[in-house]
Amino acid sequence: MDNFEKHIRENATQFNEHKADRDKMWAHISSELQKKETRIIPLWVWPVVRVACFAILFLGIGGFVGFSIYKSTTPEQQYVSKELQEINMHYKDVLAYQISLVEKNPNLSSEDKTEFLSFMDELDAEYELLRLELQNNLDNERILEAIVANYQKRIELIRNLLQKINDSKNLDNDYGYTL
Amino acid sequence: METDIRFTHKALVEQCKAGNASSQYELYGLYVDAMYNVGIRFLGNKEEAEDIVQDSFVDAFKKLHSFKYDSSFGAWLKRIVINKSINRLKAKKIPVVSMEMHEFYLADEEPAHVSETVDIKKVKLGIAKLPEGYRQIINLYLIEGYDHVEIGEILGISTNTSKSQYHRAKKKLLEIINEM
Repeated sequence: MDNFEKHIRENATQFNEHKADRDKMWAHISSELQKKETRIIPLWVWPVVRVACFAILFLGIGGFVGFSIYKSTTPEQQYVSKELQEINMHYKDVLAYQISLVEKNPNLSSEDKTEFLSFMDELDAEYELLRLELQNNLDNERILEAIVANYQKRIELIRNLLQKINDSKNLDNDYGYTL
Repeated sequence: METDIRFTHKALVEQCKAGNASSQYELYGLYVDAMYNVGIRFLGNKEEAEDIVQDSFVDAFKKLHSFKYDSSFGAWLKRIVINKSINRLKAKKIPVVSMEMHEFYLADEEPAHVSETVDIKKVKLGIAKLPEGYRQIINLYLIEGYDHVEIGEILGISTNTSKSQYHRAKKKLLEIINEM
């Protein structure tokens, strides 16, 4: 510390040149001190209240999350189910027509028909799974594609079967001519 | 009898802790002018100094139970006033330290010379003319008597920054005084 600093510190009281308005300031301080403090009692220290708080919090969060999920998925679900209905209507009609052709086909034995249609039932079960998955899965576009592919596969198999039957029938006829 | 400066006005402080209003007023009377001047030195105007000092006394009396004589009551109270003043300045975006945050200064830099018995009035005027950011550190070191570790804590800067800031501020102050 140099002499200048010592000089200032030794005379520091000379910097206190102002006088406070004591009474005015005390009036304010006194009124502030007389104000009753609002005691904040932490309710969560009581076990019953604490459990209730947790329950309310849990239900609140659960309700909020549930509502959010419901709110975010419902329009989409509605849209998807509408789209699915349209797909169903189209392919169901086509499939029913194709199956009726198989069932009515005189060139197929009842055993062959049963075997073929049981295979169709497997694809039908797969379709049911896809339909349920569509309700739960967010990636709806891919599920829809799989459902369409399932329908198309069934129709294609039936068409192939009917084609083969017709071909063999034609072959039989042609064979007669070629001979 | 306890003569340690930390126990100055201990009996009065203890009565205040017990909630004795007349003791509170007596203790207030002993320190109000000193605290008011601290407030004016930092904030520069009477209204804000009054406001800060009132708040400081209210806080001090309400939290007196936490005062354990680690320092004198006056030092404890002054620290409350200074902290509140610094926070007020920060809230008003007034720099409490210089923007140039160099941690080092040239030790062999030629310091400005001033008479060892310079008139205190000139020093007061010189401090008033200091740029923002220089005044607080001069007040804290020269007038309030804090060391650089304490100033670092008050202003939220390192001890080295406090030293370099102080030396730069002092150099500026001496230049101003010499020009008078």
